[in-house]
Amino acid sequence: MRRRCERGSALIESMLLGLILLVPVIWALGVLADLHRSALAANAAARDAGLAAARSSDIAMADASIKEMVHRSFADHELDATEARVRWTSSTGLQRGGTVEIEVSYPVTVVQAPFLGRVAGPSIWINARHVGRIDPFRSRE
Amino acid sequence: MRKPRLLERGSAPVESIFAIVFILFLALGVIEVAFALYGRNVVMSSAHEGARAAVEYGRDPQQAAAIAEDTVRRAAGALVSDLRVAVSTTSSGGTSTVRVRVQGLVDPFGPVPFTMPVDTLVSATREVLPR
Repeated sequence: MRRRCERGSALIESMLLGLILLVPVIWALGVLADLHRSALAANAAARDAGLAAARSSDIAMADASIKEMVHRSFADHELDATEARVRWTSSTGLQRGGTVEIEVSYPVTVVQAPFLGRVAGPSIWINARHVGRIDPFRSRE
Repeated sequence: MRKPRLLERGSAPVESIFAIVFILFLALGVIEVAFALYGRNVVMSSAHEGARAAVEYGRDPQQAAAIAEDTVRRAAGALVSDLRVAVSTTSSGGTSTVRVRVQGLVDPFGPVPFTMPVDTLVSATREVLPR
């Protein structure tokens, strides 16, 4: 009698277990897709910002063009650029033949809810770095 | 006592086959969703690449469209079908804005019969050379 009560159907049990396991798998897929998208956006932002900074004539112009390029790159990938951290340096002060180094970091929130988006919690930081060379023959206005 | 026990007894191989088919269906469905998300990300990135190429000096819209299409083909292969890339340029106030639109369909290859349309519009400002 007791053994009969404990007996279940393998099909029903595996279906229930499969559906329960499906929830974290789909959630993990969403986070991985967000990580991939953020990596593409951060790489594009660092490269475009590096090119724009290398073409700028002064520090203020370089700073403005870097902000614009980072914002545009993240917007193109449907991401919020305000959360991105940008750090840039130029060893030679934007002199011809010098280099500009850009580092873009972007947090991807691990805890996300469907239709609600990001929920506060731990984040995985995506980092991208680009070193751009300033054209030694470029004219300066 | 014996009769009900016999009725409740199922065939273990048949049940396990059904269970395996169900688990396989779920696993393939998950893989299909992953590929669909990947395809969407690639299309987004390709539009950005096309727009970036379009604003470079000496590039025409056809070349920008070819770069966007090539990015999708290299990264996603046949995953994205019916790919359409449109590049348009508008000029106002001394600046030229290039818009790149990439549309396509992420085709299913697994058990979920669902084609996901992807549509991305990206704009970039062309660099104006000093005269």
